Amino acid sequence: MRKIYKFPLILALLMIVSGVSMAQYTVTGVVKDDRRGEPLLGANILVRNTTRGTITDLEGRFTISFDNNQSAVLVISSLGFLSQTFAVSPSNNNLQVSLIEDATSLEEVVITGLASSVKRSNLANAVSSVSSKDLMGTTTVQTTDGALYGKVAGATIRSNGGAPGGGISIQLRGISSLSGASQPLIILDGVYINNSFQRSGRATVSGAGGANQDDGANRLADLNPSDIESIEVLKGPSAAAIYGTRANAGVIIITTKRGAEGKTKVSFSQDIGFAQPLRLLGVDDWSEEKINFFFPEARRPVELERFRQGTKIDYEDYFYNNTALLSNSRITISGGTDKTKFFVSGNINTEDGTVRKTGFDRYSIRTNIDHKISDKIKLGVSSNYIKSNTDRGFTGNQNNSGASIGYSIAYVPNYFDLRPDANGIYPVNPYFSENPIAVTDNAVNNSEVNRFIQAFNLDIDLLKTNTSFLKASFAGGLDFLQNSTLVYLPEFLQFQRGQANPGDAFWGKQESFNTNFQAALVYNWNLGKVNMNSQAGLVRLDFKNSSLFTRGRGLTPGQRNLQQATVQEINEQFNSEIQEAGVFLQQEANFDDKIIGTVGIRWDKSTLNGNPNEFYAFPRASLAVNIANFDFWNSTVVNQLKPRIAYGETAGPVAFGSTFTPLGGANIGGLLGSVVSTQIGNTQIRPETAKELEFGVDVGFFRNRVSLEATYYIKTTQNNIQSLNLAPSTGVNTTPSNEAELENKGFEFGLSGNVIDKSNFRWFSRVLYWQNRVNLTRLGIPTYIAGAFGSGLGTFLYAQGYAPTTIVGSPADPSNPGGFTFWGNAQPKFNLSFYNTVSIARNLELSFLLDWRQGGDNINLTSFLTDGGGTTNGWFDDDDGDGIPNGRQRPPAPFNNAGRWVQDASFMKVREIGLYYTIPKTAITNTFGSSVENIKIGASANNVFLFTKYKGYDPETSTFGAQSVANNVDIAPYPTPRRIFFHLTVDF
Amino acid sequence: MKRININIAIAILLASVVLSCNPLDLDQIDDPNNPSVSSVTNNASKEQIQFLLTGLESRHRGYVTNISQAWNTFGRETWYLNASDPRFQTDWLGQAGRVPDRSYFGFGNTGGGSWAAPYQAIKQADVLVTSAENASVLTDAERRAVSGFAKMIQGFQFMIPANFVYQNGIRIDVKDPLNPGPFVGYEAAMDHVKSLLDQADQELSSAGTGNFPFRLTPGFSGFNTVEGIRQVNKAITARANAYRADWQGVLTALDGSFINLTGNLNAGPSHPYNGPPDAFNPLFYVPNAAINTIVVVHPSVLDDATPGDLRVARKFLQRTTAVTITTDATPLVGTHQDARWASNTTPIPFIKNEELILLKAEAHANLNQTAQAVEAINIIRSAAGIGVYSGSTAQAALIDEILYQRRYSLWAEPWGHRWIDARRYNKLNEIPTSYDQGTIFTQFPHPQAELSWDQYVGN
Repeated sequence: MRKIYKFPLILALLMIVSGVSMAQYTVTGVVKDDRRGEPLLGANILVRNTTRGTITDLEGRFTISFDNNQSAVLVISSLGFLSQTFAVSPSNNNLQVSLIEDATSLEEVVITGLASSVKRSNLANAVSSVSSKDLMGTTTVQTTDGALYGKVAGATIRSNGGAPGGGISIQLRGISSLSGASQPLIILDGVYINNSFQRSGRATVSGAGGANQDDGANRLADLNPSDIESIEVLKGPSAAAIYGTRANAGVIIITTKRGAEGKTKVSFSQDIGFAQPLRLLGVDDWSEEKINFFFPEARRPVELERFRQGTKIDYEDYFYNNTALLSNSRITISGGTDKTKFFVSGNINTEDGTVRKTGFDRYSIRTNIDHKISDKIKLGVSSNYIKSNTDRGFTGNQNNSGASIGYSIAYVPNYFDLRPDANGIYPVNPYFSENPIAVTDNAVNNSEVNRFIQAFNLDIDLLKTNTSFLKASFAGGLDFLQNSTLVYLPEFLQFQRGQANPGDAFWGKQESFNTNFQAALVYNWNLGKVNMNSQAGLVRLDFKNSSLFTRGRGLTPGQRNLQQATVQEINEQFNSEIQEAGVFLQQEANFDDKIIGTVGIRWDKSTLNGNPNEFYAFPRASLAVNIANFDFWNSTVVNQLKPRIAYGETAGPVAFGSTFTPLGGANIGGLLGSVVSTQIGNTQIRPETAKELEFGVDVGFFRNRVSLEATYYIKTTQNNIQSLNLAPSTGVNTTPSNEAELENKGFEFGLSGNVIDKSNFRWFSRVLYWQNRVNLTRLGIPTYIAGAFGSGLGTFLYAQGYAPTTIVGSPADPSNPGGFTFWGNAQPKFNLSFYNTVSIARNLELSFLLDWRQGGDNINLTSFLTDGGGTTNGWFDDDDGDGIPNGRQRPPAPFNNAGRWVQDASFMKVREIGLYYTIPKTAITNTFGSSVENIKIGASANNVFLFTKYKGYDPETSTFGAQSVANNVDIAPYPTPRRIFFHLTVDF
Repeated sequence: MKRININIAIAILLASVVLSCNPLDLDQIDDPNNPSVSSVTNNASKEQIQFLLTGLESRHRGYVTNISQAWNTFGRETWYLNASDPRFQTDWLGQAGRVPDRSYFGFGNTGGGSWAAPYQAIKQADVLVTSAENASVLTDAERRAVSGFAKMIQGFQFMIPANFVYQNGIRIDVKDPLNPGPFVGYEAAMDHVKSLLDQADQELSSAGTGNFPFRLTPGFSGFNTVEGIRQVNKAITARANAYRADWQGVLTALDGSFINLTGNLNAGPSHPYNGPPDAFNPLFYVPNAAINTIVVVHPSVLDDATPGDLRVARKFLQRTTAVTITTDATPLVGTHQDARWASNTTPIPFIKNEELILLKAEAHANLNQTAQAVEAINIIRSAAGIGVYSGSTAQAALIDEILYQRRYSLWAEPWGHRWIDARRYNKLNEIPTSYDQGTIFTQFPHPQAELSWDQYVGN
């Protein structure tokens, strides 16, 4: 991006030269890179508070002329460098400028509004930015959200398990909603994209329960992370207010790469790697003594015989400890002219899973084009087609069907051989209802997504004077997603043979179509020394979803077509449509980069609300003061000091259908009936609203070599939606209510900078620390417990004055609200991440990222299962020597309560390590001639090491997927893989 | 400047396109998936009433799975062995001294199939009655037929929560979802049941004759006339009167019921299960399936059986491989499974002739009409192939004999007969716990959601 092609540069110079004769005085100067002392080409020179400017030439020189004799201020900037300002006058017209590298990203432009962006150094909010280098520079991560770990202060990111193809939830600044998943809004190049966890039907077929136990992937997985130029994270209402109704849980703004003017660049990258489980626990060995203890008397002879004859098989190792091949191929072609720029990328990602017959393939094509229709009209389009094909296998919860590896092998002793015999016949598993090897080898859990995302933006300069401009800006796009799913259990499986109609094929088709459109007028003008930016606009959003799930049971052998089924069933058909509209106004004022203030307001209405025509208002205001930019400031140590404060309001949407009191369809005895729903609609329902006050300070030290960012926030939500339980004796169970209120308070701290900054050795380091405390300040309905698997195994308390993440369970304790014993809290005490990158010479770069989560408890029901089956590693040990093995005596005493399964899930992970070598230019030229520009090779790893006392595959796990609460329940998950890669990138 | 004007013109053009579509205008979005309740409560069509009536049949069977699995476990007619979730054993059998709490496993905060589901049927019946009253297209006889049917189902369904929480009492005034009435004791609850069933009889008596004016599922085949429904209603009344210990009332009700001392003992209305889009029979398990979630015959039922009892041979299948469940409590072994269901689409009866004959025996025994009691007992014994009754004819002995016959004649029906019967005669302590080291429950507390509602409104 820093390279600017010669030809237009010369043109620009010619234009400047031709203007000289008009000038009353001329300023000339040279701009250099401070560290290397080399001239900077293409640096921008702008006359402050005007639209006039120029750029530097190959030798870093520039000339700019003025048609009067008044002094002026020049702002000199270059991408990746800190800008500097200089007063110039007829007597001060020669500048020697040394620009310092922007180690702490102060110059980065941050998208903050619907039609505006602001320089980080002027920002009044703690907006986190993640650049493409931060995101994917260290290692290749499968999904975009997985690449955000440890890179965003205030973000609690949780992986639901290790299955290939994603499944990650993000909570920004705690819990904003009790009912939904409290996931941020994701906007990709201006398009509101679908990031839902879609149903696959696995939990239906396996008997686990609702779709939240499908272990589905969230659809951000479709996006090729390498296409991303930057991600901005608006963490709360104070920053996200202008996004209105859908911004309660924050907004993640993703911007993809675009072409730059100049020679066409072709870049090819290939990553090859392998994955192995990050952590396995081992299984318990058996002895005759243990068999005699464990099995009922009648069963012992057959077990002893099996034990004496059997070979020992570590089933955990057998199922999980496989080496998976990973491959990621990318090609990008970018370039353009002054008028038209393009960026084209293609990506083929084929990754196996560590469980056999699982994997994730993604094929993505992107074309981003920018075109100047005229000097005044700019059109940008971004098109992305994606096909994702995911096989996630059978893990997690199940009921009766045995269609879960971990659940089944919890009950299988290592002396029984489940493997097929020479004829391919799988033995009947006498310890559970299914042979998991047969399931792994023959069952299908596939999701195939076809997706098209199209964005456009059209900017029209309506008016441009020396000191102001008026611009009309139109933007929008669509996201069309079709997901075809199949869960298939063939008829010859053990459990299927035990069914009246053996063989189960569960087909799903889901389509979602989101469109959004916005139109805005932006007027930039000056009021004295204050630069004013005024915006007004409107927004329109439409969301359509439809799903059809069908099921066939009693299948013709080997067949999975529904018409080959004895019993054909429409399992679910569901359609929804949502329309929303909003209007916004925003005024920004910038006094000389010294005081920057913003006020704005958005009004939104939605068909989800009880009154679809009522506008809800979301105001915001913020103020940042750059004290170091005032003339009186002359510290050499602290060169930036910016206290800032911001306030904003947002909302969270009502769930579709909350206003309806439907009559459901019920078939019985060949007739169709209409049944009164157990939910009464609430026609008064309002969106959940949030208010956030955030304040903090940004400090830059030693010419911004080191920067410190500290933020405190108080986010309160009102009208939180939860189901009000009615007396079930009235025949209806629930109605949605707007009663609850939550408070999240937290602290975010970031320290980053170049520890060593020499011309051939640089060490950049960054520490992020954050913590959040959530409190249910008002419940409004009677105290209740909900979530997970009930009080006997640990559940969650919803009581005023308590965090909804509080884990309670048996034994009953009437003195506590909710009536049970307190056992833990899912909320982490704090998170800390530590990132380092060392560059040696210009060729070698070493980076690593450490991620530490302290505190936060899980409900570990995998232990519950393996203890039940006698297979937990160390089950038959007897620590207290009382003759009762550990597996029957998990503390705390009296060994029968829910506290046995609540475990501290603190961990430290080495998330990413990368080592890259860029082959010296001379070596390339000698070998390949001039056709190859650049070659980079490297090796990296993702999820490299895990340090934890937690007794599971990974403290990060959620059998219920993404939820605001109860997202920490561990049931036989897919073990998290450790991924090792080798990289090659060639630029032509 | 010309250029600027063109740009402004383009912008105005775009703006006018934007405004002509009016992006701020939202369509009204109705439920795209279902009709609304309000669409039937005022002047419904006959077809809509038919849909609500079939809906009531659907709600009417909402209790079957939960009660069959749980109440029959409480009364040790069966064990519900479930390897995937040990709480079906530990909690339902009351192992290690566990006793039911307000959100007990398997019942949740709402009481599930033993509380919320029957009340949903009651609600459905209320909506049906109201809609029928407001449907001007119906004749008066049709309206009375609908109302009589609905109240019969309500009478049946109220017995479920009443027997679930027993002396804790139930709500009987439940029409207004935001203003439910107080809890009344078991006797008052059962009187309410009686009153509903009597009203149903009244309504049906003036609902004309001949075919029931709406379509009923095949579950009512043989009973789908107005008179047939009246007989079913009377049969339910006989059961209710037995619970009310109104023995003369039992006999009176039986007179109007479909009791047939020489007829098929299995005759009676049932819940149909046709498979998708309908549900499957939830009690069916494939014979000898290699699975470990299954209802098995409680060993005490096998141990106490009379040699040669045909009911044992007909209802219990000895498995080739026993089902063994090892949990952290006592291991349980199931040797026999339920053989009553030919397939997963076999209907499940909810009251049958055999029960009516046993009710007749019980009523006579309680009224000290010994000969008639023995006569009825012998109908059952003969059918079971175990010969006539030769024991004592003292009242207590006869009651014991009747309860014993009920254990085998009504074994594992979706009602929990043995649990209720043992409680009626203060014989819960006769139910054996030696096989599973458990506890026999007397009754459940009110579900948490009932308590929460009272807290919410400030009672």
